[in-house]
Amino acid sequence: MSGEPVIKVRNLVKRYGELVAVNAVSFEVAKGEIFGLLGPNGAGKTTTISILSCITPPTSGSAMVSGIDVVTDSLTARSKIGVVPQEIALYPTLSARDNLMFWGRMYGLPDRTLTRRVDELLSIVQLSDRASSRIDTFSGGMKRRINIAAGLLHRPDVLFLDEPTVGIDPQTRRNILDLIKELNAEGLTILYTTHYLEEAEFLCDRVGIMDEGKMIAVGTRDELTESIGATGVIAVRADGLNDALIDWLAALPAVSKVARSEDGLTLNVVRGADLLPTVVEKLAGSGVDIHSLDVTVPNLESVFLHLTGRRLDEEHDEKS
Amino acid sequence: MRALYIALKDLKMRLRDRNTLVMMLLLPVGMTAIIGFAFGGESGISTVEFLLVAPEEGGFLAEAAAGLLSHHELFDVERATEEEARRAVAAGEKSAAVVIPEGLLDSVLTGAPAEVRVLLDPASNIKAGIVQSMIEQFISYLSAGSAVGRGVFETLDRAEPLGDSEHLALWGWMFMWMRDAWTEPPVSLDTSTTDTDDLNVHAYFAPGFAVLFLLFTMLASAKTIHEERESGTYERLMAAPLSKTSIIAGKMTGSYVLAAIQILTLIALGGLLFGIKWGSHPGATIIMALVTAAGATSLAMLIAAAARTGRQTDSVGTAIILVMSLMGGSMWPIEQAPEAFQRFGRFTFNYWAHSGFKKLVFDDAGLAGITQEISIICAMSAVFVVVAVLLLSRRRI
Ligand SMILES: Nc1ncnc2c1ncn2[C@@H]1O[C@H](COP(=O)(O)OP(=O)(O)OP(=O)(O)O)[C@@H](O)[C@H]1O
Ligand SMILES: [Mg+2]
Repeated sequence: MSGEPVIKVRNLVKRYGELVAVNAVSFEVAKGEIFGLLGPNGAGKTTTISILSCITPPTSGSAMVSGIDVVTDSLTARSKIGVVPQEIALYPTLSARDNLMFWGRMYGLPDRTLTRRVDELLSIVQLSDRASSRIDTFSGGMKRRINIAAGLLHRPDVLFLDEPTVGIDPQTRRNILDLIKELNAEGLTILYTTHYLEEAEFLCDRVGIMDEGKMIAVGTRDELTESIGATGVIAVRADGLNDALIDWLAALPAVSKVARSEDGLTLNVVRGADLLPTVVEKLAGSGVDIHSLDVTVPNLESVFLHLTGRRLDEEHDEKS
Repeated sequence: MRALYIALKDLKMRLRDRNTLVMMLLLPVGMTAIIGFAFGGESGISTVEFLLVAPEEGGFLAEAAAGLLSHHELFDVERATEEEARRAVAAGEKSAAVVIPEGLLDSVLTGAPAEVRVLLDPASNIKAGIVQSMIEQFISYLSAGSAVGRGVFETLDRAEPLGDSEHLALWGWMFMWMRDAWTEPPVSLDTSTTDTDDLNVHAYFAPGFAVLFLLFTMLASAKTIHEERESGTYERLMAAPLSKTSIIAGKMTGSYVLAAIQILTLIALGGLLFGIKWGSHPGATIIMALVTAAGATSLAMLIAAAARTGRQTDSVGTAIILVMSLMGGSMWPIEQAPEAFQRFGRFTFNYWAHSGFKKLVFDDAGLAGITQEISIICAMSAVFVVVAVLLLSRRRI
C-alpha cells in the first residue's frame, strides 16, 4: 500500500440490541485498489458498507473516506462515495435514462453535465440502445448494470458494490466482473462484498474475511494462504518410484511432506503450481512412468475453513 | 430543489400507473354514477311509475284525472285497487300511489271538501317526492278549475239556467283546457337553481366519493415511502448527499400535487358528466378542493408514517379510511343517521370536507360560508403533518 488510504476503518462497532452485527472491524483500502469483503450470510458485510456510505450510524469506532469522517461530515463524504446497493435500487416503471437522470439530480449534478454523463455511462454499461426502455422490461443482468451505473454518475472517489452478481447467470456475471475491472483500471477504488470465493480471488487485490461481525483476516490471497500455513497438494500416479527419489523430493525446501500411496505419491507443497515443473523433470529424468498429475492449490476457502472450521459455500442459501 | 425532483419523479410514476388512474378517476366517477342511480338520481329518471287508485263509481272525473296524470311525459301510470297499491308501495315495487276519492266529481262541481291521498315509498324519496309535488300541482289545477268553473256556471245560470247536458259539455271543455294547461303550462317556473339541484343526487354523492378515493390515492402515494425502503431506493436516497428533510418534503409535495390534480379533475368531471353545479363561486370551490387535498395528503402520510411496512399501511389505512368515510358521510347521507352518530362523524376529516362541498353546491355558499370547514381541515392537516414528520424523521432504517 502506498500513499494515504482512501478508506480507513478503525474499530467499527454496530449493535442491534443484543446482536453485534459489526464487531471492532478495522481495515484500510489504498487508492486504486479492489478490496473484497468476503463472508457468509449475516457476516456483517452489508452493515459495514451501510456505515461507510453514511446510511447507518455506527455504535462506535470511526470510518474515513477520502480523508472525510463519514459520521461527522456525512454530507461531504456522501458526495465522494458511489453506492451500489445489494438490491436493484431503481424505479421499475421509469426508463433507464430517467432513472439515471433522477439519481444524478440527487447528487446535485447540473442538467448539462448530467445528460453527458448519463450517455457516457449508458455506453460504458452497453445499454445505450435500451436507454428509453423501462427498467421492468430489462433482464436481471441489465438491471444490475444500470444499478452500477447509477452509483457512478457523480464520479466518486470510491465505489461500494454490495454483492452485485447475486442471482444472475455466469455469462452476465463475467460481464459485470469485467466491467468492474475496467472501472478499476481507470483508477477507481472499489470496495466489493461477496460470498463467492472465486469472485474475490478473480477480482480483488486484497481481501478481508468477515465472520459473525468480526474481521478474521486481511491480506492478499497469497498472504492469507501462507499465514495459515496452507499447502498445495501434488498427487502423482506413477510406476518406477524409488526411495532415493522420495528423499530427493522431501529435501526440497518448498515441500513439507511426502507420502507414498498405493499407486504413487503425494507431496504437500507451499506453492504447488510453481514446483510442478521441477517435480516432473526430475521424475521423468529418473525413468519414472507418470500416469497422471493432480495439483490442488490452496485458496481462500482453505483460509476460511482453517479460521472458522466451516466451509464458506456450504452455508449459503440460494439467493435470488 | 432536490425535494422537487423527488416530487416530480413520484408524480411521473403515479400518473403513468394505470391502477392509480383507475383509482383516481374511474372508481369515484363510477361509484357516483351507480349510487346516484340507485338513490334515484335525476339524470337517471326518465319516467316515474306510480299506481292510480280510482273508484269504480268515480265517474268521468276520475277517468279525466287519470287521463290528465298519465298525459304528463314524466309519468307512467297504472291502475290498481287501493289494497294492491298499498302492498306494491310497501314492498318498494312502485315509488308512489295516488288514491282518488269517490266524491271527487261532486267536490269539483260543488266545492265540497275531498281528499286525494298519495302513498309514498320512503326508500325512494326522490321519485316519491316528484310524484308528491306533481300531485300537489295537479290538485291546485283541479281546485282552481273547480273554483273558476263554478263561478262561470253560477254567472251563466243566473243569466239563463242551463240544462244538465250543457253542464256536462261545459265541464268537459274545462277539463280539456286544464289538460292543455297541465301538459304545456302557459306560465312555468324555472326551478333550475333550486329544485333541480336538490334533486341532483349526484351532486350529493360526488364530493363524498371524491374524498373517499382521494384518500385511497393518497394512501397509495404515501405507501411509496415504504416501497422505497423495501426496494432499496430509499437506501440509495440516503446515500446521496441530501437531507432526510428533503426526502420527506419531496414525498409530501408529490403526494399533494397528485391530490390537487385528482380532486380538481373530479370536480370538472362532475360538472361534465353529472351536470353538477359547484356553486357560483369558483374561487371558493377551488380553495375548498385544495384544502381537501391537503387534508387527505397529510392524513395518508400520517398513516404511512405510523405503519411499519407497506402492507400495514394498506391494511390499517384502508380500515381507517372506510370507517372515517362511513362516519363522516362520504358514502351515504348521514343526515338520516341519529344525532349521536352525526356528532361522532364531526371528528372525521371526511365530515368537514363533505360539509364544505355541500354548502358550495346546495347553499351556493361563498368563501365566507365555508370558513369553518376550511379552518378545521387546515388545523387537522397541520396536526397530521407535524406528527407524520416527527415519526418519519425519528425512524431508523
Ligand atoms: N436493521 C437491522 N436490525 C437488526 N439487525 C440487523 C439489521 N441489519 C442487519 N442486522 C443483522 O446484522 C447481521 C449482519 O447483517 P448484514 O446484512 O450486514 O450481513 P451480510 O454480511 O451483508 O449478509 P448477506 O450475505 O446475507 O447479505 C445479521 O445478523 C442481521 O440480521
Ligand atoms: Mg449483505
